[in-house]
Amino acid sequence: MTLPPRSVVIAGGGIAGVSSAAALRVGGYDGAVTIVDAGDYPHDRPPLSKDFLTGKRDRDDIVLQPSDWYVRHEVRLLTGTAVTAVRPGSGAVELSDGATLHADRVVLATGGRAARPPIPGVDSPLVHVLRTVEDAERLRAALQSADAVMVVGAGLIGSEVAATLHGSGYEVVLVDPMRPPLAAALGMNVAHWLHDLHSLRGIACVQASVESFAEDGGRLRVQLAGESQPRVVDLAVLGVGMVPDSDLAVSAGLEVDRGIVVDVGQRTSNAAVLAVGDAARTRVAGTLLPRTEHWDAAQQDGARAAATILGRPVPPATASWFWTDRHGLHVEVVGEMAAAANRVVRGALGTPPFTVFGLREGRLVAAVAVDDSATARVARRLIDRAVAVEENRLADPDINLRALLRV
Amino acid sequence: MPQQTLGIRVASVTDIPPGEGIAIDKSITGTADNIALLRDEDDRIYALDDTCSHEDASLADGWVEGGYVECPLHASKFCLKTGEVQGLPATRDVCPHRIEVRDGAVYLFPNEAP
Repeated sequence: MTLPPRSVVIAGGGIAGVSSAAALRVGGYDGAVTIVDAGDYPHDRPPLSKDFLTGKRDRDDIVLQPSDWYVRHEVRLLTGTAVTAVRPGSGAVELSDGATLHADRVVLATGGRAARPPIPGVDSPLVHVLRTVEDAERLRAALQSADAVMVVGAGLIGSEVAATLHGSGYEVVLVDPMRPPLAAALGMNVAHWLHDLHSLRGIACVQASVESFAEDGGRLRVQLAGESQPRVVDLAVLGVGMVPDSDLAVSAGLEVDRGIVVDVGQRTSNAAVLAVGDAARTRVAGTLLPRTEHWDAAQQDGARAAATILGRPVPPATASWFWTDRHGLHVEVVGEMAAAANRVVRGALGTPPFTVFGLREGRLVAAVAVDDSATARVARRLIDRAVAVEENRLADPDINLRALLRV
Repeated sequence: MPQQTLGIRVASVTDIPPGEGIAIDKSITGTADNIALLRDEDDRIYALDDTCSHEDASLADGWVEGGYVECPLHASKFCLKTGEVQGLPATRDVCPHRIEVRDGAVYLFPNEAP
């Protein structure tokens, strides 16, 4: 019989890493837990594109856990320190300060970095990205002396940044080559409606790609494809996706395929090393799934990793869930809208609260709820329990959907 | 004061569907925050401060199930009995209040421990 692990080192203090530590303690693990993170302190990231950017909330308001949580849960937190190498054979975890930790299990929660596509001028200091607290603080500082801002990419982050900045009085140009963005995640109708809200609220939306950035007298000239003249703004923010950080996994010889490949229990190709969150990519029954880059998914990864380390059954996967906020609307997406064969609207599309359900073979596979949180919660459970549903009942606002769960 | 011993009659049990909640305005409760009356699926009713400790959301609009309420915005979880936070992104507890149910009416005792 193998001995249970006595020491776990978690590389990365984002939501996935901190959730892994929390789930270990909730599960009764009483060995050592160390979180190693290069940043100054583990912060929650969703506010970075919203209340943190406006200055309504500061660093202290967006900590993932207060400092006494780490004390009470006996989680050792090493900040300002990076893991530089993981050696699964010996259990050694090497740190940037020269120290070496021993770990029976290592959890890679390394996340990733904001993508900077190879566009001429993209490395200009006037071209910002938004991933870390430090990124957000740099952007916040630069906004002090800015009026006109270009946001490149109208996906989740770009749209939130554009809406936040527009709400703060900036002149915003939002550029994306796709029309509408997020069609796969939201379904075509909702994607169009949500994107068109940007223009209705006064954001200049341009369907184009960026050909080049160039600094000119402290301002930024942005050449868009198909336009004769460059647009001049004070700064640009890129929201064009992320690149998973799999360097530690690569150097440790683990399987990597546009993400650190893990099984449903978050195990990498070496059973002593697990991976969670944005950097991980799950293989189920021989098929590699797309990476998920959402807060709730990262938290669930942490719970699964802890179960694996504790030798317990891994909690089953649930329907995915993410939220996004723009122009005062709270949008929630559960399940996979791209898997839907037909759609049903509860309420009126475009008049919140409303929800669009995606169905396939008499079962719910997805829902997009706008200011309709209770419906999103029901939908998630209907998907997880594979409840047979009737379209006309879903669409009828007079029917309490919660009753559909009591079958 | 009679109110201290009898509580404030704030709702009928039938005002609160199982698994849901209603908010009682602070002008009625005299508390710093509105108070959410939350009815679990086993029909027991609990009272917690209404505003999620994470961001500005009403727990009365949340999802009540299995002894917990989930915030409608980001699904932070709070114990119905104690107000203890059980799930991120919130990290701070919310204040619980004592209630009594008499003859189908809910009586609230603001700031008294349940």
